[in-house]
Amino acid sequence: MGLVTGSASFMRFTIEGELPENFWDFVAERVVAHSFVDIDDNMEEYSIGWVSVANMFDSEFAYSSYAAGDYVVLTMRADERKVSPAVLKKFTMKEEERIKQEKQLSKLARSVRLEIKERVRAELVRKSAPVPAVYDLCWNLAEGTLLFFSTSKKAMLQLEELFRETFDLSIILQIPWTTALHLVDEDLVAGLDELRPAILI
Amino acid sequence: MDLVDLIQEKHFLGQEFLAWLWFKAEERGGNVDVPGMGDILVAFEKHMLLEYGEGEETEKVICRGLQTELREARAGLGLGKKPEQARIRFARGDYEFNVTLTAATLEFRNVKLPKTVEGADEGDDPESMEGRILERIGLFEQLTEIVNELFRMFINIRASKAWPDELLKIRTWAALGLEH
Repeated sequence: MGLVTGSASFMRFTIEGELPENFWDFVAERVVAHSFVDIDDNMEEYSIGWVSVANMFDSEFAYSSYAAGDYVVLTMRADERKVSPAVLKKFTMKEEERIKQEKQLSKLARSVRLEIKERVRAELVRKSAPVPAVYDLCWNLAEGTLLFFSTSKKAMLQLEELFRETFDLSIILQIPWTTALHLVDEDLVAGLDELRPAILI
Repeated sequence: MDLVDLIQEKHFLGQEFLAWLWFKAEERGGNVDVPGMGDILVAFEKHMLLEYGEGEETEKVICRGLQTELREARAGLGLGKKPEQARIRFARGDYEFNVTLTAATLEFRNVKLPKTVEGADEGDDPESMEGRILERIGLFEQLTEIVNELFRMFINIRASKAWPDELLKIRTWAALGLEH
């Protein structure tokens, strides 16, 4: 979140690649094709896609809500069924004990324990409610830049993949070095590579 | 070179930018004259993270001050530590922004935007929503533009023959932090 309300944290990206002709038709088609699909009522473990910045339950984009002036504004939503390691450990141990008692065994083979753990995990995942995470973005079409309202590395990787799949375009994180290449005077560009850390004392 | 290596190898640029900006802000009592923009108020406040060393040998120190001169952080700078994160207040005209900038990737954290008259319109219809979003985008972009222009000033000094003189001034200023 952050684009619409409250305080915000964001990273900046540069978009690489050519925008297609009939850009807004392209966006309309692609955003809907990669919109978020709810998994509350099925057994899927994970779902990721676009929703409206105004409403995380709106994945139909009435009124073309992804368009704001010369900007594309979207929220990336990722829902995931998660099981905490402590919960998984507890139920795995419980199941191991049950099987040992049932089969009158003092120990279980490693392969059996792995199989139990995987089965227990699958059961717990199915029972858990999907945890939603939402991250806004704002794409400046004129500048070819994007603000992504999160500083999470995991969310950044998810964004890079979803953005590429949706728009066939890459996004490159802006760091001081790339910003320097972009902003430095032309006659100084060649010298940038030679810069070494300065001692400030 | 991939991005992760670039971030690590060129990490010093972000750190030096923050140190330079701090020096520059104090050089003229909080104002920095930015070409094309005029005077921008730049105030370092509340929170700073300093780093010393590289790789596994890195030490980090958090310094906090309340609207003060961040004395401990200044002293840390004088001892050779470099700023890794800083809470900065920028003001241009009537607008004031607060942000924590990070050195490695120049992330903008916990950004506080200025309050505006238009912001009072809380209608939920699509037009009001689009208006509010465009207004917020405009403010975010004003902030990124200020930081970009300051970074442009820095890199054009850093990569030029003017750097040794500027570095000397920074060192003198950093050393003053140890005396107070």
